[in-house]
Amino acid sequence: MTELLQAVVNGLQMGALYALVAVGLAIIWGLMEMVNFAHGEFMMLGMFGAWWLSSTLGLDPLIAMVPIALVMYGLGVVVYTQLMRRVQRGDVFAQIFATVGLLLFLQNTVVAGFTSDYRFVSDTVLARLSGVNIDLFGIRLGLPLLIAGLIGLALFILLYLLIDRTEIGLSLQATSEDREAAMLVGIHPRRMFAMAWGLGAALVAVAGVILANFFSVYPQVGLQFTVLAYAIVALGGFGSILGTLIAALLVGVVQSVTVVYLAPAFKDAFVFGSYLLIGLARPQGLFGRF
Amino acid sequence: MRIVIDLLKTRYVPIFLAVGLLALTATLAGRTSAQAPIKEVLIGEVLPLTGNFATLGQQYLWSGQTVEDIVNNDYPDLSVPLGPGKGFPAFGGAPLKLVIRDDQSRGDLARTLVEQLITVNKVHWINGEGTSGNTSIIQPVAESYGIPLSCSPCASPTLTEKGFKWFWRTGPNDRTMVASVFDFLKDWPKNGGPGDLKTVAIFTCDNLFCQDNFKIAQDLAPKAGFKLVSELTTKTGATTLASEVQRLQAANPDILFFVQYPAETAVFQADAKRAGFMPKVIATSNGAYSDQTWLEAQKKTNGGAGWLGRDPTAIDLASKKPSWKKVNEIYRKYSRGQDMGELAMREITGMLWVADTINRAKSVEPAALAKAAAETNTSPDQMIIDYKGIRFDKSNQNVLASGVVTQIGWNGEKHTIWPWALAKEAGYKAIYPSPSWADRDSQPKPSR
Repeated sequence: MTELLQAVVNGLQMGALYALVAVGLAIIWGLMEMVNFAHGEFMMLGMFGAWWLSSTLGLDPLIAMVPIALVMYGLGVVVYTQLMRRVQRGDVFAQIFATVGLLLFLQNTVVAGFTSDYRFVSDTVLARLSGVNIDLFGIRLGLPLLIAGLIGLALFILLYLLIDRTEIGLSLQATSEDREAAMLVGIHPRRMFAMAWGLGAALVAVAGVILANFFSVYPQVGLQFTVLAYAIVALGGFGSILGTLIAALLVGVVQSVTVVYLAPAFKDAFVFGSYLLIGLARPQGLFGRF
Repeated sequence: MRIVIDLLKTRYVPIFLAVGLLALTATLAGRTSAQAPIKEVLIGEVLPLTGNFATLGQQYLWSGQTVEDIVNNDYPDLSVPLGPGKGFPAFGGAPLKLVIRDDQSRGDLARTLVEQLITVNKVHWINGEGTSGNTSIIQPVAESYGIPLSCSPCASPTLTEKGFKWFWRTGPNDRTMVASVFDFLKDWPKNGGPGDLKTVAIFTCDNLFCQDNFKIAQDLAPKAGFKLVSELTTKTGATTLASEVQRLQAANPDILFFVQYPAETAVFQADAKRAGFMPKVIATSNGAYSDQTWLEAQKKTNGGAGWLGRDPTAIDLASKKPSWKKVNEIYRKYSRGQDMGELAMREITGMLWVADTINRAKSVEPAALAKAAAETNTSPDQMIIDYKGIRFDKSNQNVLASGVVTQIGWNGEKHTIWPWALAKEAGYKAIYPSPSWADRDSQPKPSR
């Protein structure tokens, strides 16, 4: 029983990090219905930013996440205005090709600038806390992962409030639901889309900054998270920020519990299997609006 | 017969004649070009410069550039093949030119690129791909065109066991190297080591390289007298290994035989630290243990202290050789200041052998190259790596490539601990048991 509970707790901790990675995509894809295959690359840029600021200026990732989020917000806006706006009204394949192209461009630019070497952000507050655990009834909680998960949850709640309770958030939702109607009430759809891309890029970059404390930093790191993020957003339901959080926690737990009882090769098979099962019963996802 | 006669009477005759004439011209042109003086020797390199294995590809690229530099420039005191003098003496000093292609770590693309290198660029030799999995994909292409192919860092035993005529490997294979680890563990008690190591868990990733290691360890561990208590395979690109660590912890092995790439190794270390999991011995085979960036990162955390693994060379002893120091100096020009790791040493040794073979063949004709390769008998003093030499068996595997076992010390450097004679020369006392995470945190860090 302890074994199962430990696996569930491990899964929840990882799930909180997955949620942060997926939430940017939930805004761009889930809410604004635009495809972004370069999502993981924004995260990779965040990780590289954390590594670079840590190794050159000695800035801890927990502080570096602020300037990185601002820069990445700007990059997200630029990507929308200079690239995605041009393909937005076209076929969805145009968006797929544009973002896959962006993925390759960003990845190879980083390879050219920093090489493909693995880099490790080791001298950080969270890294120094590694090995510090909280024991609760025989269940071990790693303090750094717990802190990272809590930061992720806090950001998630802030975003949820922004989207659901503020005028900006409601404007974003209105734009995604009916662009023309939104224009009639004075909302600038392009501005909203640009903001969604900025927010999406900034959030996933922050996720990258946090993850840099736990994962090695290299140009190809984004893809494995992008695939999971797509499954999480689809599972949680399009347009639902809360759904994304629950789906991410579910994915973390499914991954973790599966491996305790079955061969690790089944880990992702069960994640995507759960997605298929829920997709059959509820094609719009667990909490999808559309 | 009638049909053939009818066909010959028709308008197809000029077409047949034209095709025949073209084929004859092409054959003659091929002969003419082969006989023309060689202005440059072309070696095609297909490498994973981007994608999942880019970190390996870069080391191979720098190694190739180092060899190109050594061959094309005069290093009079450098005791390696084609070190002294410029270019290939057999071709009047013609330079070596590498034609490099990036396959993005994809086997299908590697296959296409090899075809292009052979048919369009007309290279004389192919070197690559650097990973065993993708090399197994390009082997049939080189074989069908009859062009020599080499991959010296590729360690999968299957590469030289398929009966290919045109594939050569100067480096040791996984069987040789993993056997070194289990030979060491078996004989360790008789040489002052612990006598309480009884059980083994195998933990590897899922590609050809990892699975080869998995099967070899599965075979060799019981033969060396150890009981297998857990066997886990994970997908490359894992985002968490917490549950895998949980299972390993429950199995409680004395020895963890661990084969993972650097990214997954970092994930494992974080999860193992959180769970407080540390077996008495962590034995590895290639993967992160051969990656210079992972090794450097361990100096900041002591994370690798006490890990032991197989290596193709006693790097602590080899690096004292003057030729090693000179080659490393050249390598650093291309690697942005990074020192040669054992992977680069294997690749440079292999590519210098290729250059030497082409020079000895005095021709770029594949048959002559194959003959020169078969006649290879390189002595150890011509190498920067401590193989016993280069001499091939019938499968084109270097039978003199050997393995050693090294351990990462508290200084973050690798030290030779097997064979016993070399270990004595290295004068290093092995760390046992593998330090706990708390010990690692409390000890001074070499890079802080």
